[in-house]
Amino acid sequence: MQIVVKNISKDFGKKKNAVHAIKDFSLKVDHGEFLGIMGPSGAGKTTLLNMISTNERPDHGQVIIDGLDLTKLHDRDQAKYRRNKMGFIYQSFELLDSLNVKENVILPLALNRSNKKLIEERFNYMMKLLNVENLSDRAIDELSLGQRQIIAAARALINNPEILFADEPTGSLDSKSATILLNYMQLINQREKTTILMATHDAFTASYCSRVVFIKDGVVFSEIVNPGDRDKFFEQIINMQRTIGGGNYFNVSENN
Amino acid sequence: MYRKIIKRSLSNMRDSYLIYILACSFAIGVFGILLSLGDNPSLRSALHLWQAEGSEFGDIGYGMGSNWILDIVETMSGIFAFFAAVYMIYVGGFFIKQQRNEFLTFEKLGMPQYVIVTISFFQTAIVQALAWVLGILAIFIFQKFMGMLLLYVMRIRFDFGMHISTSYIWTMLKIFGFSTLLLSVINAFRTIRILQKRKRKTLIKTRWWLRIPAGLFGLVLLFSAQVCTAFLFYDMHTISYSSKPITEVFYIMLADIFGTYLVYYGFLPSILNIMQKIRSLSYSGLNIFSFKYMKERLFQNISILWFVTELSALALALLTLCYFGYRAVYQNYDTSYPFELAANKDTVKVIKGELKKSDAKIKGEYKTAVKINLVSYYSKENQTYVRQPMTFMSYTDYKELPKRMHKGNSKINSKQFLKIDYNSSLMYSNKLSEHDIEVKNAPLIQTAKIGNSFPYGSSMHFGPMMIVPDNYYKKMPAEVTDTFYGWDFKKGDRLSHTQLEKLDNHRNAYVMKVDFASSLSKSTVEVMKNQPLKKYETGTYTQAGFLRQGNLKKRFKQGGGFYLYIVALFSVALLVALGSVLTLRVNLRDDYQSRQLRTLQKIGVEESEIKGIIRRENTLTFLLPIIFALIQAYTSIAMFDFGRHLSKNIILIYAGYVVLYCLFGLISYRISWRGVRQKFNL
Ligand SMILES: Nc1ncnc2c1ncn2[C@@H]1O[C@H](COP(=O)(O)OP(=O)(O)O)[C@@H](O)[C@H]1O
Ligand SMILES: [Mg+2]
Repeated sequence: MQIVVKNISKDFGKKKNAVHAIKDFSLKVDHGEFLGIMGPSGAGKTTLLNMISTNERPDHGQVIIDGLDLTKLHDRDQAKYRRNKMGFIYQSFELLDSLNVKENVILPLALNRSNKKLIEERFNYMMKLLNVENLSDRAIDELSLGQRQIIAAARALINNPEILFADEPTGSLDSKSATILLNYMQLINQREKTTILMATHDAFTASYCSRVVFIKDGVVFSEIVNPGDRDKFFEQIINMQRTIGGGNYFNVSENN
Repeated sequence: MYRKIIKRSLSNMRDSYLIYILACSFAIGVFGILLSLGDNPSLRSALHLWQAEGSEFGDIGYGMGSNWILDIVETMSGIFAFFAAVYMIYVGGFFIKQQRNEFLTFEKLGMPQYVIVTISFFQTAIVQALAWVLGILAIFIFQKFMGMLLLYVMRIRFDFGMHISTSYIWTMLKIFGFSTLLLSVINAFRTIRILQKRKRKTLIKTRWWLRIPAGLFGLVLLFSAQVCTAFLFYDMHTISYSSKPITEVFYIMLADIFGTYLVYYGFLPSILNIMQKIRSLSYSGLNIFSFKYMKERLFQNISILWFVTELSALALALLTLCYFGYRAVYQNYDTSYPFELAANKDTVKVIKGELKKSDAKIKGEYKTAVKINLVSYYSKENQTYVRQPMTFMSYTDYKELPKRMHKGNSKINSKQFLKIDYNSSLMYSNKLSEHDIEVKNAPLIQTAKIGNSFPYGSSMHFGPMMIVPDNYYKKMPAEVTDTFYGWDFKKGDRLSHTQLEKLDNHRNAYVMKVDFASSLSKSTVEVMKNQPLKKYETGTYTQAGFLRQGNLKKRFKQGGGFYLYIVALFSVALLVALGSVLTLRVNLRDDYQSRQLRTLQKIGVEESEIKGIIRRENTLTFLLPIIFALIQAYTSIAMFDFGRHLSKNIILIYAGYVVLYCLFGLISYRISWRGVRQKFNL
């Protein structure tokens, strides 16, 4: 087991109108797994990812990665851990407006003070791979939402993280870009054994995973393992969504 | 709901509002206290010395003239109010600007414009009201303290009674109402403009082709100003007859002001830009972000930094002027009024009698015989031939006087001559010597050193004085002989009012009428006693008879203290204003700028590194203006302290200013970091 989440919970707000975003949640993720986390909006997906990735501290419980209890670490060490081992694709992109595309993408490498040649190499490789070479010198506010998401993905992947956290990575992408990104995620998952935790409410996106956990109101509702056939897996996911939400609770992707 | 919106935006920016409110209430407090001192009865009676104008000596006759010290205090409060208003209007705009996006969103959500404008109106009004409440509280708390402080620095022992009249309260209320209304209306107008313009973030054009040459030119200007300052140190003493120093000062001012702006505009961003272009530098660690971030912040704040720089330089220059002015006046005073009480042979008897009656404790008693003779010489300073009576004193007698009498003069030995004359300029003492002075029926004095410090005080003489070797003195003839007497007391001469009135009859002991003929030896002096005074008749010289300088000393000390009080108050106020402007400027980041810091944290940048960015930002914002201001203020030292060494006191004054200023930087940094950190934990 690479990631062990033990009985974590998180509340927001004050006593009276507190929101129990995550309630006594446990989860185990194997090395090299491509885990999907599904649930309707407000189910607690983002909160869960944030806690596993140490961006937020849980109120209770533990998050153990490679035998290390991250909740016990100091903020500073958490940041270091995050920087060295994790990559993030945030739902809100979290790109830096002051920097241009290139600088945004290479930021994780620059932060680690990698050498210049490696930075250029990796950058060119990522841009080519994601088919966005022409965006290199653009400013962030000159990009469409979809382009921003791709750039955010490029940044997350550029330093080959051991664990990749992706929060609705295809939410703003057209089907072609989404397929490219998902294929690449699958690729690094298989080749580099990168563990991926991806939150999504989209069945097509989820069908790339090796396992999908369904959460609702902050608790695990059920989970399905990919039988090895994506179409079949997709069917299973759709069915599960129907079971949970009674039909159109979830967006069913049109591009399957 | 509107109440909620106002409440939320007030609490969102509470740190910044707190600084603004504190700065405003400080200003209101100072203004209110100055105003209230103006009609404070206990102060009025404590300052009775200043009541009578028209007579040179405060103790003669209590006129009904207004008390001009209090008039000054009131005028100062007016000036202060004006600048405070400018500050409040200007800085109040920061907050509206900060809410720009919010207001635009409200409008998009369909809120009618007038509601948004009303919200901004009331928001401003609430903040102003808070500032006034605190300010008035400060007035009540600190009025006594400030009044006592004023009396203390003026060295008046008097109990300061707190006094707040109803008319004063009414005035303050009117000012409060008016200023709050004014500021709220101005901010409402600002909101209207935001809503009408609607354009989002205006992109800053980089225009390197303009910035780089402009920056270099600015650097050249600043450098040339420094070179010019070096010349000014040499040229300043020629100010009385040459226009060169004025031209230089003028050039330095222009070069400094524009040079600084150009450097801020062009040079500093270019440096950051170059650093950012050097990959090995910028692609390492957080630099990739921080260079760009700094550049962006610099672009946004160029004019403010420039403004603060120039005002700081101005403040430092004013402090320098005040310091040297004070020192010059002090020295001048010190050299002109050496004994607390002085008399001549005609008045000594009466005065001694009165002193006995007044039970004065005499600390020191001196007397010196002098000879008065006619002289003529060519005065280099005035570039004319001068003929006048001159008072002569022997070297030994001169040396026997208390040390403070000759401290300010050039040193002479028993064979040299020393001419003591009035100093034509307060600031600059000309260390030239005088040559070829003809004395009636005595040998020509070829060279005489020059001094300004009159034994027995300048007013006891009608012309310059000459210290001559004992031998020369013994042999020289005298048109008139006289003896000067001087006393020092423990705790003053204690002469009562009636005694002084009596003594006044003995003022102007005698008048000398000089009949200048074609040559000195033919000219004659006629002494007339108890003559009705015909002032300004040519060739008449009046001998004062006695001089009560202790009182002048008191007046001088009080005036000096008052002056320091006002200067200090204004300097501190200016410092508070500048510091708080910068602090607010640093803290009121655009939304997206603080979001970026949060983003950095999310992708694994340690908090300490983000703190580093904040620190660098604050350092840059605060250090730049003070450094450039110090460079510029150096010129003022050249102007007011030419030729002399950098005195310790002026360094202390500067250091004090810098320390206080840096304190603001530190506070600003703390608040900045707090604000950023709060957003991290959302
Ligand atoms: N910072 C926050 N403050 C208060 N409530 C929050 C915060 N973040 C999330 N929540 C609440 O927690 C629940 C889970 O949110 P989230 O994890 O963002 O859901 P999802 O990503 O699945 O849409 C929601 O009800 C949301 O309103
Ligand atoms: Mg979410």
